[in-house]
Amino acid sequence: MELLEFARGPALKVALVVFCFGVLWRLVGTVLLRFHPHLSVPRNGFFKSFMLGLAVAGSRSWPYRRFIVRTGYGEALGYSYHIGLFLVILFFAPHVLFIKSLFGVSWATLPSSIVTIIAVVTFTLLLAVLFRRLAYSVLRKLSNFDDYFSWFVTTLVIVTGLMATAHFGARYETLMAWHILSFDLLLIWFPFGKLMHAFYIFPSRMINGYFLARKGAPS
Amino acid sequence: MSAQSVNATTAGKVRAMPADLQGDLSNQARVERAMQSFAMDYGAMTALRLESCIHCGMCADACHFYIATEDPQYTPILKVEPFKQAYKRESGPFALFFKLFGLKQRVSAAELENWQHLLFDSCNMCGRCSIICPMGIDVAALIEQARRAMFDAGLAPAELYAKARHQQQTGQPESSSEPYLEMLKAIGREFHVEIPMDKSKADVMLCVPRTDIEHYPKAVAALARVMQHLGVECTFRSEGLVAENYGYYAGGRDWQRRISLRLIEQALACHAKVLVVPECGHAYTALRWEAAELYGKPLPFRVLHVTEYLAEQLEAGRLKLHKAGNGEVTFHDPCQLARKGGVMNAPRQLMQALGLDLHELENSKAFSFCCGGGGGVLDIKRAAPLRYRTMESKLREVDDTGAGTFLTSCSDCRATFDDAKAHFNWDKSTHSLLEMVADNLG
Amino acid sequence: MTTAKRLETIEDVLTANGVSRRTFLKFCISTASFMALAPSMSTVIAKELLKARRPSVIYLSFQECTGCLESLTRSYTPSVENMIFNMVSLDYDDTLMAAAGKQSEEALDTVIKENYGHYMMVVDGAVPLGNGGVYNTQGGKSAVQILTDSAKGAAAIVCVGTCSSFGGIPLAHPNPTGAVPVSDIITDKPIINVSGCPPIPAVITSTLVHYVTLGVPALDAHHRPLAFFGNTIHDRCYRRPFFDEGKFAKTFDDEGARNGWCLYELGCKGPTTYNACATTKWNEGTSFPIESGHPCLGCSEPNFWDRNGSFYAPLAAGLISSVAPIGEAAGAGAAAGVGTAALSRLRNRAKVRQRATEKQTSKEE
Repeated sequence: MELLEFARGPALKVALVVFCFGVLWRLVGTVLLRFHPHLSVPRNGFFKSFMLGLAVAGSRSWPYRRFIVRTGYGEALGYSYHIGLFLVILFFAPHVLFIKSLFGVSWATLPSSIVTIIAVVTFTLLLAVLFRRLAYSVLRKLSNFDDYFSWFVTTLVIVTGLMATAHFGARYETLMAWHILSFDLLLIWFPFGKLMHAFYIFPSRMINGYFLARKGAPS
Repeated sequence: MSAQSVNATTAGKVRAMPADLQGDLSNQARVERAMQSFAMDYGAMTALRLESCIHCGMCADACHFYIATEDPQYTPILKVEPFKQAYKRESGPFALFFKLFGLKQRVSAAELENWQHLLFDSCNMCGRCSIICPMGIDVAALIEQARRAMFDAGLAPAELYAKARHQQQTGQPESSSEPYLEMLKAIGREFHVEIPMDKSKADVMLCVPRTDIEHYPKAVAALARVMQHLGVECTFRSEGLVAENYGYYAGGRDWQRRISLRLIEQALACHAKVLVVPECGHAYTALRWEAAELYGKPLPFRVLHVTEYLAEQLEAGRLKLHKAGNGEVTFHDPCQLARKGGVMNAPRQLMQALGLDLHELENSKAFSFCCGGGGGVLDIKRAAPLRYRTMESKLREVDDTGAGTFLTSCSDCRATFDDAKAHFNWDKSTHSLLEMVADNLG
Repeated sequence: MTTAKRLETIEDVLTANGVSRRTFLKFCISTASFMALAPSMSTVIAKELLKARRPSVIYLSFQECTGCLESLTRSYTPSVENMIFNMVSLDYDDTLMAAAGKQSEEALDTVIKENYGHYMMVVDGAVPLGNGGVYNTQGGKSAVQILTDSAKGAAAIVCVGTCSSFGGIPLAHPNPTGAVPVSDIITDKPIINVSGCPPIPAVITSTLVHYVTLGVPALDAHHRPLAFFGNTIHDRCYRRPFFDEGKFAKTFDDEGARNGWCLYELGCKGPTTYNACATTKWNEGTSFPIESGHPCLGCSEPNFWDRNGSFYAPLAAGLISSVAPIGEAAGAGAAAGVGTAALSRLRNRAKVRQRATEKQTSKEE
């Protein structure tokens, strides 16, 4: 079996299986734990608190203006590479075809040249992100293997993808195999590391937001 | 009971700090107790909070301890790191892997000792980090849970432990020259106001911060005077005078419960419809939000902060106020009231009714910086130098408003500011909003 | 052919056939450029070619469809390539030769004996190994035996077509005859694979010319001449700009297809296929499959019949037949989550109880 076949076939299948298995396991394993009863008389009723909790799911996407002075740079960096990743993942024609082959849905795509530019920018931003994590004492102190490895697998996918489009370093099918293998690796790592934040972000904001709203506290 | 730690190794990621120890426990027993205690409050919320963190470090940007020192060990989420570590190893969905492959080490007693400084000395549980977190994590809630675990492991700061112990035994955090009951009566005599005491039936039950009894008697008198003016049936109860709850500060779950129960029982005994929490922020959190859980069922009476109660009376037209002549004022929002309790409009309604020209602080309401003394930090002696550093910018904010009068509605905040006044030779005194209301009754 | 008068060098043949020097040099130049050699190399080729002793060639056909030979012989009429091919001494080819049966077998033996160690072997078709090789026999001998016997005295082997190069269609799933490529059987001779189904005629002749004049050309990992198999179809495709712009034909009769947009989404294997179709083209440079509106099948690549799932499945598609196991995995994950949550609750409760008991006992003390 060729490497590319392996990457697109069995490796991809195993990766998707691990991904779905792990994500569900971790999510369900957290959410099904006990919710301690809150017995104090709420300031806001269930419905209002629930709606405010929902609002928090969106509002925390941008920090309060008060905080931006301090968080602006990190926030801008984080946002821009996330947007870059989304554009590249969702609007590069081969990716859409990949998604279509798995789930049968597809949508409009961006010109490959534009996607390539976005990918290069995203890669540069990811380097800046790593630099910031290493240079900023708070992040350096907080960081563990998970932070660096999650960065590595994400960046690896971008780099191999760029190499494949540029036909740089090896034959195209080998590069494409690397690219798909690195994506397989990302899928496998996903449920175990911080990449899971993609699934935790909204439940966490909502539920925490709900309990703040219940007290009538600002959220 | 208390001893200085000899086990000050540099476990973990933070500097070794001297820690107070209680009890004669083996290191292993300490760690086990900490984890057992953490388990009591552990549930989906804890797990969700610990799982969600992406190590973005933004909470540091909300925390005055980090902002003042730029010391990364004061990053709020790092303050619960040992418990995060234990969670991943023992309780998380993938605990199996973490344990099997040794990915997370067992938490050591030395680590917990080092974290005492982070969980107590350098955290006011002000919750500013909880509203910046892009993942929505309520970091302050985690800290509170961790403090309880530390307490059960015999790792609370000596001052907080001693005061909590004293309070749960005697009702007073410290012995005083004469009992608080007598001091209260003396205040009544001094300020010519009737102190309603131990009535068998009253609509409103009152209690009082011991800080006010000892340092701000005028505020105690103001409370009595305002209630008198409103003409409501109200009473203090000699068995439940003190509003503070050192059990909450120290993290002593049982003691917090016992201290709260004392007030709850007295409120039930006098058939109170409302328990008015005086100008004390953390007493509000303890009674308004946490007492019911420790009591085991919803409280059969309302719990209101005095500013909330007065704002209600104002709206109902029962409280009439003169315009105060103070002109330009600024107001410090106590964290436990505003950010964590949702009491933000009531004090402003009162100030408006008093005709005050409120100049808001640069960071007010939800964003208010803690005075620096909250969460029991004011009582921890060794924390004082750090506390002063965090206060500098707060004092500057107050100065920057240009307002002549500085108001707040929490006696602990007030005490913290007045302590800083002495330390920095600051030119401002901190005044009680309640006193201002009492001085301008119509 | 063996009965014709032997002409010793290629120059002899060219002269005898009345090929002008000008035509010959033109051929040399085009060969040099095909092979991506420096222009100066064309004179070297010309010199070497004129001097070259006409190599004796044995053309063996096994599991094949004769498409490769058709491609070679019928494409350009008349052409220099064709004549050159006549000019090598094609001493054995059971499709083209007049002789048949016993006579032809004797001819093969004779050629091998007379040119032992010098003849070039061209193989067309895969070799079946299943059931002792019974699926392809000639004169009572199995293909594998003929191949092994003939290869012993060969100077080099040129595999023409994907079947002899990589097994091709005979090797495709389920491969009932146990077909294998030549390289699986012969391992001690230089092998040049000229793959394609069929290969481009000019690629075959140019490879032969290169071998005759300059020896074995530079080869890629699959033993194919780099000059023709060094780039992908996609790299040199005239529709490439549409790929870069993100303009794709979605069906064979949509606007994109009519406008000649990229066929990637229709399953074109151009990006992973190494061949010269996009530059050399077919039928005297007339066209190639993509130009005529059909995606590349990837016919010059090993295992092309099976490897991409379908000719019409886009390259980017995952090779997963069913997503059902993924759903099952999600279900199992949820179950595991329920399990660990329950476990965590139990362990938690135990800790809380233990703490409570400890408190009780310490109070009793």
